[in-house]
Amino acid sequence: MNRPDLFTSVCIFAGSLPVLLIILGLLVLTGLQVADPETFIDAILDPSVIDSILLTFTAAACSTLILFAIGTPLAYLLSRQKFPLKSVVEGLIDLPLVIPHTVAGIIVYLLCMRQGLLGLPGSLVGIRFEETIAGIIIAMLFVSVPYYVNTVREGFSRVPVRLEQVARSLGATPGRAFVQISLPLTTRHILTGGLMAWGRGVSEFAAVVMIAYHPMIISTLIYQRFNTGGLYAATAVAFVMVVFSLLLFVFIRILGGRLLSEVR
Amino acid sequence: MIRIRDLLVRVGSFELPVKNLDVSDNDWVVITGRSGSGKTVFLETIAGFFKPESGSIILDGADITSLPPEKRGISIVFQDYSLFPHMTARENIGYGLKLRNNPEIHSIVSDYARMLGIDSLLDRSPAQLSGGEKQRVAIARALVVNPKLLLLDEPASALDHETRRSLWNDLCSLHDRGDLTIIHVTHDRNEAEVLGNRRIIIDGGKFVE
Repeated sequence: MNRPDLFTSVCIFAGSLPVLLIILGLLVLTGLQVADPETFIDAILDPSVIDSILLTFTAAACSTLILFAIGTPLAYLLSRQKFPLKSVVEGLIDLPLVIPHTVAGIIVYLLCMRQGLLGLPGSLVGIRFEETIAGIIIAMLFVSVPYYVNTVREGFSRVPVRLEQVARSLGATPGRAFVQISLPLTTRHILTGGLMAWGRGVSEFAAVVMIAYHPMIISTLIYQRFNTGGLYAATAVAFVMVVFSLLLFVFIRILGGRLLSEVR
Repeated sequence: MIRIRDLLVRVGSFELPVKNLDVSDNDWVVITGRSGSGKTVFLETIAGFFKPESGSIILDGADITSLPPEKRGISIVFQDYSLFPHMTARENIGYGLKLRNNPEIHSIVSDYARMLGIDSLLDRSPAQLSGGEKQRVAIARALVVNPKLLLLDEPASALDHETRRSLWNDLCSLHDRGDLTIIHVTHDRNEAEVLGNRRIIIDGGKFVE
């Protein structure tokens, strides 16, 4: 291997810092578990921890599926159409990126509380958002929208419009051209956007806790353990969460890679 | 037969008026003009990708001005081939037939592939084809659906001299078989002189025959 030039060396040095930060953080967390394995084993065997992790992953997966259904058409429209107030819509989509998560939580609560714009019609058909998984899903959805929509919009903009035009000239309706041409060619971006949205949902705390302290998602449980049992009780649960997340992310990446090679 | 009357196409600040143009069955009309003269906009309007401000397009006696592209029976071949990258050459060629649930898709695709000399390449993906091969796949894909009109948008401009000559020969033989009306735009004067039985120049937004 050639000796890297000055610029590459600077890039390597600068680039290694954020990676090092994550590695150091994980090492500290792991070190605490090695020093106190009993607390860690208790956390792993604690059904409320496992239930909470499963609830978090499931709720985030539901919000990602809803995003796929409603965010994909929105991303397509934004990449293909010009319409009045388009930049306002784009700004609104980006809003959850810049507002504090507590503010996102307040917005979600105001919308979903019993007398809220979504809560009131929801209660009429038997759907309650306060202290339910439905509320958790809505909060996760709210904060994940920009991650999914922006990634998938970028994917659609990379598909030449001409491919759809050719498909239309050969007899495809706009819907068929979308499903058979644009959608498969955006698979990579849909998977990446979905993974980012799911990860964002899993990591959410403030927005969720405002609408649903119970049932406890993992970040709420860690916060509760920190308040009641101290730092060590919280880190054991946090470590279990990190291990689960890492395993799942690797699994999804491998699965995504296989899916992409099949699409190709 | 295609008849165009008092057509006005506006794309942003660009305007293209077409007073009258009649193209008879089996005609091969070659339209030339400088870059930005509106050749491609004209083709895309006939294909249905742009809605004209006014005027009419009549194809075989039916007014198709407001019809969506999929209901016009007009195929188009672009300069950049526009092959579907996630499909093989076979799937690309058979795409239109699959939409029509044609049971003879396999034999029709094979026939056209043989005619265009690409029958050994059918299982390759577009990324594994040369420019000339890609353009032949694009032409086969446009022809298998038996279009009333074939639109060619500078189909050979991205090809080298020899491949271009070979593609012209193939297009001529396909046209000579009959029942194929072509409107072909090019900025290549040589191509315009060699191909087609009618030549039109777009100059300053006007069609001069």
